[in-house]
Amino acid sequence: MGTAISTWRSKGLLGPRIRILEHEAPLGYLLLAPMLLLLVTFLAYPFLFGIWLSVTNAQIGDNGHFVGLGNYVFERGDTVFLQSFANTMYYTVVTTIAKLSLGLVMALLLNQVFPAQRFVRAALLLPFIIPSVLSTLAWRWMFDPTFSVVNWVSVHYLHLPAVNWLGTTNTALASMMVVNTWRGIPFFGISFLAGLQTIPVELYEAARVDGATRLQQFRTITLPMLRPILAVVLLLSTILTFGDFTLPYVLTNCAPYNSTCVLSTWAFQIGVNGGYIGIGAAISLVLFPLLTVIVAGVLIGLRSEN
Amino acid sequence: MSGRKKVQGSGWTPLWDRREFLKQAGVAAGSLALGPALLEACGGSSNPTTANGAAIPKPRAGAKVQLLQWNSFVPAADDEIRRQAAEFSTANNVTVTIQTVTGDQLQPKTAAAVEAGSGPDIIQMQYGWPHLYDTACMDVSDLMGALKSQLGTVNQVNDAFSKVGSKYLAIPYCQVPNAWSYRTDLWQAAGLSNYFTTWDELAADGKQLKDKGQPPIAVSLGHAYGDAITMWYPVLWDFGGREVSADGKKVTINSKETLAAVTWAINTWKAGYISQNTLSWLDPDNNQAYHSGLITATLNGASIYIKETYTTATNHKYAPVTNNAPMPKGPSGLETLNLVFNHAVMKWTQEADTAKAFIAYLMQQDNYTKWLNASVGYNAGPFQKLASADIFNTDKKLKPFQDVVATGKWPGWPAQPSKATAQSQVQFVIVDMFAKACTSGDAKSAIADAEQKLKRIYETPA
Repeated sequence: MGTAISTWRSKGLLGPRIRILEHEAPLGYLLLAPMLLLLVTFLAYPFLFGIWLSVTNAQIGDNGHFVGLGNYVFERGDTVFLQSFANTMYYTVVTTIAKLSLGLVMALLLNQVFPAQRFVRAALLLPFIIPSVLSTLAWRWMFDPTFSVVNWVSVHYLHLPAVNWLGTTNTALASMMVVNTWRGIPFFGISFLAGLQTIPVELYEAARVDGATRLQQFRTITLPMLRPILAVVLLLSTILTFGDFTLPYVLTNCAPYNSTCVLSTWAFQIGVNGGYIGIGAAISLVLFPLLTVIVAGVLIGLRSEN
Repeated sequence: MSGRKKVQGSGWTPLWDRREFLKQAGVAAGSLALGPALLEACGGSSNPTTANGAAIPKPRAGAKVQLLQWNSFVPAADDEIRRQAAEFSTANNVTVTIQTVTGDQLQPKTAAAVEAGSGPDIIQMQYGWPHLYDTACMDVSDLMGALKSQLGTVNQVNDAFSKVGSKYLAIPYCQVPNAWSYRTDLWQAAGLSNYFTTWDELAADGKQLKDKGQPPIAVSLGHAYGDAITMWYPVLWDFGGREVSADGKKVTINSKETLAAVTWAINTWKAGYISQNTLSWLDPDNNQAYHSGLITATLNGASIYIKETYTTATNHKYAPVTNNAPMPKGPSGLETLNLVFNHAVMKWTQEADTAKAFIAYLMQQDNYTKWLNASVGYNAGPFQKLASADIFNTDKKLKPFQDVVATGKWPGWPAQPSKATAQSQVQFVIVDMFAKACTSGDAKSAIADAEQKLKRIYETPA
């Protein structure tokens, strides 16, 4: 490379524009440029366009005009929107706590040495690997009261009454949470497992020498050492669960009577199927301020720990 | 194509010089001016005209046209339309492709295409989509005039959905009639002879089935965009209930007629005379339940009967004991609702003439009849001359699916289809009213909830 540059320089081909790249900063920005362009194109533009749509009365095929916060004010009086908002919060909080707890248990178990360890680790990742649509469809069949294998087992073997899993508000929402938790546990588990394996064994050995119990070791060594990973995983999971669309859409599609709508599915119903894309955008962006606070809180927390 | 050619060592130079250009342009202009006259003189055809003189456009050789539609529940129907597309392509030196997606994917794909202003040249419009996407659908009133003169009057539902204001934004294509498919063996085992003809008889027959330990009558109370809608709107109408006034401005759902309809639903559902397990059912679920022998009767397109009788998919398990019946009536009469499909030529197409010519080709009586026969009674024609097919004469069990077409209405009826009626439909306001009432047992509260939602849609829209 050096030879080539000196050859070009001797031939007078290396002008001032090329020489500027020999400085670190311009070259750095140049190398960053493609990624920045990608981010602006595929992240910033759709996001800003979404914000713009939310303050217009746009409909599918009609750009509409600026209406300020009219869409947000209009949705405030919509009972299904309010229900969707509450469902989204409930769904996110419950599933995140469940995934966190069960994921930690999974990681602690997988961190032990046992036969077929690698196979079990790989198998436990399956819920995360299978496309959401397929796995949710399978769950849909399992929950359907007419075909339900869950009901069949509980009625025939456990002698319990059949449950209309997707037919009542509470059980349908609970079913959504079960499937989301089932699907999300491997993400938490594998992330925690990676964190557990970075904790030096010497710390546990020293603790044992000092007479610490297993619980004390977990509380004073494992948990503090996992905190950075825990924060990141929690953050990602919260964002993804808030915006979860595929699972609620395929499992219940808001039924029964729009009682299991979350913001993403209600935004889709109004914005895409109903054509009011401006209102749909407003519905989907309503959580943005809250998410911003959560993300900022976690990032500040992480920085202070460092 | 570029009009330029590369000359070695000298970069790009024009392919045509000024003299050549003027010569070619002169020939082209002369052809344009004299072409039709020459064709006439040589006995060639210009655009075919109909009895009233309206022209059916002629396809442009080399054109490429794509049609987007749903996956029919009867795959043979899709095979036939693909065959006709290939036939049309070969005959006219064009390329017509048929892209199919599942029913619930069609609207998101259509909405995305409309928003982007590009996509398939022709899109199958279900229900009132021409009203929803009116800015993107081309005015096809000229073609509609030509087809009317050839094929006769149009079914009122296809007409209402296709016509926006004074313009046709889609060409009527078909209906998917919904009627009842039921098991005659289970019916007889319960001591029943005739199929119900009124909603009250349905409740009585459901009771008899329950008392005799037979599987229930089951219809979706969930967000099934076909089966739930085609069940619960007619229940409302047959008891005299209407969601909105005829001018589409005043919500009229809160009435004693609606209360009667909802009360009937509560009493029937609570007593278990219809299945209580259907609150989450989507369109395929009742098909699956029937083929699995878990229900006695259900409201559906003819696909259940077709799958049992005409395909080997179920090994004809219930073929001899499956029969069909039309919709029952209520105290205020008999109204029905069927899925309705129409074809829209999209404004962004560069091949409008070819697209229109292809639609006209599909609607030619012999082609359309082949398609109707291939769909084995699953579809019904929208024009007077396309209403009947051989299959309805050879298989009398399919007659109920023909019977429900004449009484067909649309969501929002008696108001004309509009963006508001479409909005009410996609939000499942009417279906949810029944679902909420059945589970809560509180008819008045469910009606009040529906009224509040409908007022936001019709009276105080965003």
